[in-house]
Amino acid sequence: MEIMRLVVTGPVGAGKSTFIRSVSEIEVVDTDRQATDETAELKPKTTVAFDFGRLQFGSEMALHLYGTPGQSRFDFMWDILIRQAHAYILLVAAHRPLEFRYARRIASFMNQRRQVPMIIGLTHTDLPTSWQAENIAIALGYIDPQDCPPIVTVNATEQVSVAQAIITLIQHSMQTNLVNAGKP
Amino acid sequence: MSINTEKLGIVLQNFVTATSDVQGAALVTPDGLPLAATLPGAMDEERVSAMSAAMLSLGERIGQELGRGGIDRIYVEGDQGYGILTSCGDDAVLLVLADKKAKQGVLMLEIKRAVSEIKLILM
Repeated sequence: MEIMRLVVTGPVGAGKSTFIRSVSEIEVVDTDRQATDETAELKPKTTVAFDFGRLQFGSEMALHLYGTPGQSRFDFMWDILIRQAHAYILLVAAHRPLEFRYARRIASFMNQRRQVPMIIGLTHTDLPTSWQAENIAIALGYIDPQDCPPIVTVNATEQVSVAQAIITLIQHSMQTNLVNAGKP
Repeated sequence: MSINTEKLGIVLQNFVTATSDVQGAALVTPDGLPLAATLPGAMDEERVSAMSAAMLSLGERIGQELGRGGIDRIYVEGDQGYGILTSCGDDAVLLVLADKKAKQGVLMLEIKRAVSEIKLILM
């Protein structure tokens, strides 16, 4: 059986842990600790190492989902996780524009280490203050729509929505690999 | 009552200078923020804190899921020395960095002493 390792990353409170909990077939291995920094204003607990979930995808493939911590002091974990990853999804809360720059920083951290297929997942899109996808793409530095990775809207608390995002990520990953295989 | 961080700093510093072959120590919150630290020059306090928290949480998880029970300490032995993480109650984790030459028995005893001293301050 083939194992595909997917990394779920993004700023604090984007919904990474929730995302994995929504689809994992095993009880999620989490490393939550009580938050004592500014994270505590958003939520009581925060991931300090990683979340791990597993999902069977057809009969031939198992997905291993790894969620990163959000804070940059844990960037050694970002490094460890992305080095093993086949693809990743960057989760961004659409209603917190102040974090877009930080999300961009995470993406460039990842891209510097590994060139793996990625997509962007927008969470919290149902709020009146949420930004439109195309504006977020620009804020994340994807000025040219041609270069922009696929953007999906995710409700991290809903299994169907998360599964859809994962399917998009896998499709994108396969396409990218096909294109790269065609190159000399 | 607020935590006496100055006192914590002094306890750590005394521990590092008084215990032979100990090169540094840091007291951090379980979510990886520094409370007090006496570290070798090149080490970044924030990074050390985050690593300690990540390691301890994984260790505790292994203890839980693989039936090893509650974790007293986590021990990293490299060819250049040791890194020892000890839980100091619910609110703090102590990381001690020691030289390869360190006598383990003495080290453990000294850590135990430091932990009980720290716990008193944190109470």
